[in-house]
Amino acid sequence: MALQLLFTGLGVGSIYALVALGFVLIFRATNAVNFAQGDFAMLGAFAMVVLAVDLELPYGLSIALALIAVMLFGALFNLTVYYPLRHRGLLPVIISTIGASILMQNGMLAAYGPQPQTLPGILSTPGIMVGSVFLDSQYLIILCITALLVVLQYFFFEYTLLGKKMQATSQDKEMASLLGIPVAWMIMLTFIYSAFLGGLAGILVGPILFVSVGMGSAISLKAFAATIVGGFGNVIGAIVGGLTLGIVETFGAAYISVPYKDAFAFLVLLIFLMIKPEGIFGEKIAEKA
Amino acid sequence: MTETVVMDRASASRRRYFPSAFGGLTFAGFAICLTALPLAVSLTGYQLNLLMQAATYAIAVFGLVVVLGYAGQINLAQAAFFGLGAYCVALGTTDFGLGFWLSLLLAVCVAAFAGAVLGLASLRLGGHYLAMVTISFQTILSLTLNNWISLTHGPDGVRGIQRPAILNDSRYFLAFCLAVLFTAGFGVYRLKRRRLGRAMQAVRDNEIAAAVSGIDTFATKVFAFTLSAALGGLGGGLFAGGFTYISPDQFTFAESVVFLTMALLGGVTSAFGAAFGTGLLILLPEWLRFLKVVYLAVYGAAVVLIMVFLPDGLWGIVTWAKRRLISEPPVDRQSIAPLPLTRQAACSAGQALLEVKSLSKHFGGLKAVDEVNLSVRQNSVHALIGPNGSGKTTMLNVLSGLYRPMGGSIVFDGGTITNAPPHTRTRLGIARTFQNIRLFPAMSVLDNVMVGAEQSGDLFSSARAVRNHAFSALEFVGLAERAYRDIGSLSYGHQRLVEIARALAGNPKLILFDEPGAGLNHGEKDRLVELLKQLKDRGLTVLIIDHDMAMVEQVAERITVLNFGRHIADGASRDVLRNPDVIAAYLGEVRSDAA
Amino acid sequence: MLLELDSVTAAYGRVLALKGLSLTVNDGEIVTLLGANGAGKSTVLRTISGLMTPQSGQVRWAGASIGGMKPGVIAGLSIAHVPERRRIFPGLTVRENILLGGSNLKGVSRAELEADVEKNFAIFPEIKPFENALGWTLSGGQQQMVAVARGLMARPKLLLLDEPSLGLAPLIVQQVYRVISGIREQGTTVLLVEQNAQMALSVADRGYVLETGTIVAEGLPSQLLDTDEIRAAYLGGRAKPN
Repeated sequence: MALQLLFTGLGVGSIYALVALGFVLIFRATNAVNFAQGDFAMLGAFAMVVLAVDLELPYGLSIALALIAVMLFGALFNLTVYYPLRHRGLLPVIISTIGASILMQNGMLAAYGPQPQTLPGILSTPGIMVGSVFLDSQYLIILCITALLVVLQYFFFEYTLLGKKMQATSQDKEMASLLGIPVAWMIMLTFIYSAFLGGLAGILVGPILFVSVGMGSAISLKAFAATIVGGFGNVIGAIVGGLTLGIVETFGAAYISVPYKDAFAFLVLLIFLMIKPEGIFGEKIAEKA
Repeated sequence: MTETVVMDRASASRRRYFPSAFGGLTFAGFAICLTALPLAVSLTGYQLNLLMQAATYAIAVFGLVVVLGYAGQINLAQAAFFGLGAYCVALGTTDFGLGFWLSLLLAVCVAAFAGAVLGLASLRLGGHYLAMVTISFQTILSLTLNNWISLTHGPDGVRGIQRPAILNDSRYFLAFCLAVLFTAGFGVYRLKRRRLGRAMQAVRDNEIAAAVSGIDTFATKVFAFTLSAALGGLGGGLFAGGFTYISPDQFTFAESVVFLTMALLGGVTSAFGAAFGTGLLILLPEWLRFLKVVYLAVYGAAVVLIMVFLPDGLWGIVTWAKRRLISEPPVDRQSIAPLPLTRQAACSAGQALLEVKSLSKHFGGLKAVDEVNLSVRQNSVHALIGPNGSGKTTMLNVLSGLYRPMGGSIVFDGGTITNAPPHTRTRLGIARTFQNIRLFPAMSVLDNVMVGAEQSGDLFSSARAVRNHAFSALEFVGLAERAYRDIGSLSYGHQRLVEIARALAGNPKLILFDEPGAGLNHGEKDRLVELLKQLKDRGLTVLIIDHDMAMVEQVAERITVLNFGRHIADGASRDVLRNPDVIAAYLGEVRSDAA
Repeated sequence: MLLELDSVTAAYGRVLALKGLSLTVNDGEIVTLLGANGAGKSTVLRTISGLMTPQSGQVRWAGASIGGMKPGVIAGLSIAHVPERRRIFPGLTVRENILLGGSNLKGVSRAELEADVEKNFAIFPEIKPFENALGWTLSGGQQQMVAVARGLMARPKLLLLDEPSLGLAPLIVQQVYRVISGIREQGTTVLLVEQNAQMALSVADRGYVLETGTIVAEGLPSQLLDTDEIRAAYLGGRAKPN
């Protein structure tokens, strides 16, 4: 039983980790926290519903088109929600992304209606048995893709010039522009890629949950909690935090209480914020007075 | 000249501490008329409900004005506090039979308590951390309201909420709500011009500067947060009484966003603006409610648009116009009293006022300050010099309490202050200035200096006394005429002087100057030297860091030299400046021969 | 004439910082801008590098007008700006900081960039031991070296240096200035802003003195040093300590 829960928890946690990666990316490049990150997942999932279910396009093609759609939306999001406010400081951006999140959800609600939708899984086989544990195929795919993305993203930031340019942009935009780094493009790339990550998370988790307008919110907040638990701004931290939260939530729902399942993530978050706000892996760059 | 009651920092500092009789009476008259309105005019049930919602929401939005507008801390759980208050009144009057008044009191207390606990736990972090904590709290509360059915009745909500007998008629209840609205609004408005309000704004504008000006920043933030929660609870309690039925879906995160939008649209730093924004967003687009889904989408879009195009809210337009049309009042320099620098040190001249022993501060592997001794004599001018990277600024930060030392001790005027927080040190008589000037940009010059005066631990008999003292400090540095200006309009050199005035307004025994000459031209530096000499003549003690050796030579009697975090020399200026170690490590050649 | 400012006016909001200012910099020169704080020296550099847009007047680079262009574009024209207070990226290593200095170069491989980094370490051997240290841990002098090295990575034709001596000890300042005078040999023209005029005039070919947004004096170092009033008002350091 515990192993089964662990597997499920890791699967759920991987979704949080994917979205958290998007958070961290945007934060590292722009110092902004995007409260609408999870809604990219919602958009990705709905795009899949429209493409694969309503229009009955081939699954693979649907995935590609859905991702493209979400990435374009990410670019639009940058232009309208973040970019105009980029000089204004933390608070206006937080508030603006919250507003955008509400707009996205209610816009989708108006467009598609309140009924939750279902999405078929990627593989037709439901899964494989390993010992006493049933490995759901969708969860397996989630785990594999997440692992792959984690590695790629890490290498991107640590070893590529573009990754360094993005970091430089987040640390001192003006200086980066003086060096000839195209700051606006760095930011745009960041949003596009983060949207991609969010959309991918939605496409992967869509078959497991119902696809509903509110699905992004819950994922958003928990993914954000994951980044804090792992150490804000830290790539590895986002992963570990996401997985941890997924496991805690799954075990909590099974052993303690189902209706309060969503509360567990927040309780863990609150505990971390009070005791160890820099998270498990957090690094702090000192502010010299 | 008509004195309209408008929020504007230039006029605010110009106003006396009691609103002018005319403005106050106007407001009171307006308030009484509006409160009596429901009784005088006949309103439909629908209109009554609308006004009820506007009034109770506005009270909650006042809470955001305090915590977000004044103190700059984000609170995304105002609907949760509103809901706590509502449920206290709802359950109190129905299940628990406590009666309305007691339940309302409970509502305010419970909400305030929740705010205090949340604030205490999370206000040491800020920004997005705080946002997350408040959202988490909001989410947990929503879940609890929906699922703890035995207590809260779950999704069914609570019916039949009792009003007090004399207010049973909806018109009377509305009038009561309006009366509370105006009282609360007035209180929030006045708060901005009081010591606490200024402290909140200082924390918002520059927390480090606020701390060294003597403000207990943590306590200030927690108080703002608690007050905000209390106002939310008050609004919620009245809301429950007004509508006599509540349910959990009225107090979700979406509603917190609605409160936020109302505050932002009106102008989050202004009680009037916030009330205006609330009224606007409830009363005007009522027809949008028929399209429930679009209503929320519009709110979302509105938040984004406001942040982009109207950061100061609608009321910002009013204040902008006011600033254009109304000029600053003249300053009567003749009536300014000379600055009293009266705090006596316990020790006498020649004894050590500040005694530092084996002080150490490391950052990871970097030993920024390594077992440094420093002894500053009462009523002396002491300089701390050293090459860049030698640890001077770190030392100063440890001395003012911004960094915690890893080892060693600091004794000031006989008392140990090694681990004391910055505001305590200020109240004991230590002031400081910063290498990169730290002023409060959203407040006027005078307000900046008043913060220094009123947070220093000195007791003033009245608000006017604080103001006069601030003027004295400004006159001392020669800037009294610019008291009402915005910080942004001053030159760098003048801003530096304002910072010094703020430090002096606190009546310190010891002032720490961190590169006060940086960025000053020759004439300004001469003036600074004069100022430092005057301070010494008045009995103050000065510790100064600077690179300009000529200036240091002129003012300092004793010099301590740091290199790589360690002290390498200490003594009378002339001796130190001839010490070969010092010369070798730092002075090099005074005349340049670079090519 | 490599760079020309012609009656340039620039403002921060409502405050005029430059009022019809004109100056020229010729190929291969080291020109210094002197003046008190607030005189507008940094503003001149910011206007050239694109951080500020001139309200009126022309900024001409090799004859072409560049006023109002974005910083990224101007960096691509081989103009490198080393701003006041260094501004090293705190979370990146020394090596990474310097490497990014070459971001304006087109068609240059990573290997070439890394080779350039080594060349820069040769000019500033004092910072080589710190090549993997994070920017925020460095002292002011070390940061200044990294900043100049980073500026040189751009293979600039014009290097704009903003107060390189600010906050540095005299010994370090001399080291930095030794490098500055050597930059000319690489074919780079230097426009140097300084408050400490003695240092600046010791390496410069020509100088301008600014006061509240306009040029009040210009000439050879000897000419500027010899005028009593200018020396007293703008040239840092007193004639004699008491």
